[in-house]
Amino acid sequence: MINDTIPPVAETEQLMNDVMPPVADAVLSGTVPAPIKIGVRHLDFFYKSFHALKDINLEVPEKRVTAIIGPSGCGKSTLLRVFNRIYAVYPGLKAQGEVILDGENILDPRYPLNRLRSKVGMVFQKPVPFPMSIHDNIAYGVRHHETLNRAEMDDRVEWALQQAALWDEVKDKLRQSGMSLSGGQQQRLCIARAVAVKPEVMLLDEPASALDPISTLKIEELIYELKKNYTIVIVTHNMQQAARVSDLTAFMYMGELVEFGDTNTIFTNPSKKQTEDYITGRYG
Amino acid sequence: MNSPHHSRWLYARRVAANAIAKSLGTVATLFGLFWLIWILWVTLEHGAAALKPGLFTQMTPPPGEDGGLANALFGSVIMSLLAILIGAPIGIAAGTYLAEFARRPAWRETIRFLNDILLSSPSIILGLFVYELLVRPAGHFSGWAGAVALALIVLPVVVRTTDEMLRLVPNAMREAALSLGIPQWKVTVQVLYRAALPGIVTGVLLALARISGETAPLLFTALNNQYWTNNLNAPTASIPVVIFQYAMSPYEAWHSLAWAGAFVVTMLVLVLSLVSRAILLRNRISHD
Repeated sequence: MINDTIPPVAETEQLMNDVMPPVADAVLSGTVPAPIKIGVRHLDFFYKSFHALKDINLEVPEKRVTAIIGPSGCGKSTLLRVFNRIYAVYPGLKAQGEVILDGENILDPRYPLNRLRSKVGMVFQKPVPFPMSIHDNIAYGVRHHETLNRAEMDDRVEWALQQAALWDEVKDKLRQSGMSLSGGQQQRLCIARAVAVKPEVMLLDEPASALDPISTLKIEELIYELKKNYTIVIVTHNMQQAARVSDLTAFMYMGELVEFGDTNTIFTNPSKKQTEDYITGRYG
Repeated sequence: MNSPHHSRWLYARRVAANAIAKSLGTVATLFGLFWLIWILWVTLEHGAAALKPGLFTQMTPPPGEDGGLANALFGSVIMSLLAILIGAPIGIAAGTYLAEFARRPAWRETIRFLNDILLSSPSIILGLFVYELLVRPAGHFSGWAGAVALALIVLPVVVRTTDEMLRLVPNAMREAALSLGIPQWKVTVQVLYRAALPGIVTGVLLALARISGETAPLLFTALNNQYWTNNLNAPTASIPVVIFQYAMSPYEAWHSLAWAGAFVVTMLVLVLSLVSRAILLRNRISHD
């Protein structure tokens, strides 16, 4: 799948610059390591006085699916929520360290949230369509970032719904409320909504945990498709899901990153005892 | 301990306790409904009998003459609408601040507590306050003062409902909208208001229903007026004050008009309650 050793950010950026155009196919076929999209360096996170993330160092490769697993309360969602600074909605939360996205530290207060969140989209555990039509659910975010005419917007809406494998099911009822869809459809609507603003990174926070098995399967197939165009980070408490959809897996425990590497290796031959215990179901 | 005899006795005791609790609850409900229906029935009976064509066109009459409630209805409608126009926007803005923007919990809870005090303060106190604030400096009663006094009743109701309805909107919706890069004020106005709108509208309608029957604050502010007036600087008639005045009088014709006024106000409150119920109910169904 991917090389075990992930080169540091600087080297990868060099590599990206050197071989950018022809690299895509080679990267997808796994012959060349993917460039690093997000580099996390010495990240600490605090909920008031609680030290939730402890010195996290992690490199998320471009156009790969990186899964973060671990028992409840291990900090996996917290880490994901740092990547688009959505944690900043709540008072008393603080991140220290660096999260480098395309060479810039997004934790720098001068990094504009608007730009960050148009580059890094997010899908949440519970599907929450906005209280508007299916069409407007998709168009709402796009309107904020771009000025499109009606035809362009209709095209964008169709494109986003197709990316989320929902178009065929809703193309005849775009004016209906987003709330009228089933749970699985609502979640794909939320994915389409995030895709519509053309992000580069998609953060998925347990995107299938509120869904039935068939909808879950659809979401997983979708993730497989989406990674051709997007860098995906998925948090899941479902280890089979992590094994099925991800290229790389990070195992977290008690706020620390215990082990990070190729998914096959993590699941078949983990190097840490804690990882092995978790994966074999001894706790969590 | 767990002999069959013991458990049978236990079961019988539970059945009996259940039956007693059930009948006490039913009796209490019937007791409440009995008075409500009686009050409604008497109001409808006397009020419907007092209805006549001139009710909505003629002025409140002096003793011994024929008349209607036109000036009082007009005064009530104008003052209530003004009160909503003053109270609802401020209340919605304050409720939004509490639910969405106040970040320090102690500060937020203090404001909520103070708002609850305003919510439960007797309306006659609000009337006296506005009397001191507007009527005494001006030297005369006025429709404006009446509207302000009613607005003070509207305000805490709308603050409370807006705050609670916005807090019912799941955090996930806030985060989903913010994660698209949309700033907080836009998320609040374009997404959260839309989700909370039925509840907020219901709060405003219930506030309107509440002030349409308020008498005490108007006695100290708008007082009354026997004639039609478009001038809000003049004393202004209202249905509740006319009911109060006429019902206390010795004249049969005035009693009849008071019943008609009571009928109109009751119908208005009933309709407002039903409409707000319908809005909430319809919304609940479409959201689940």
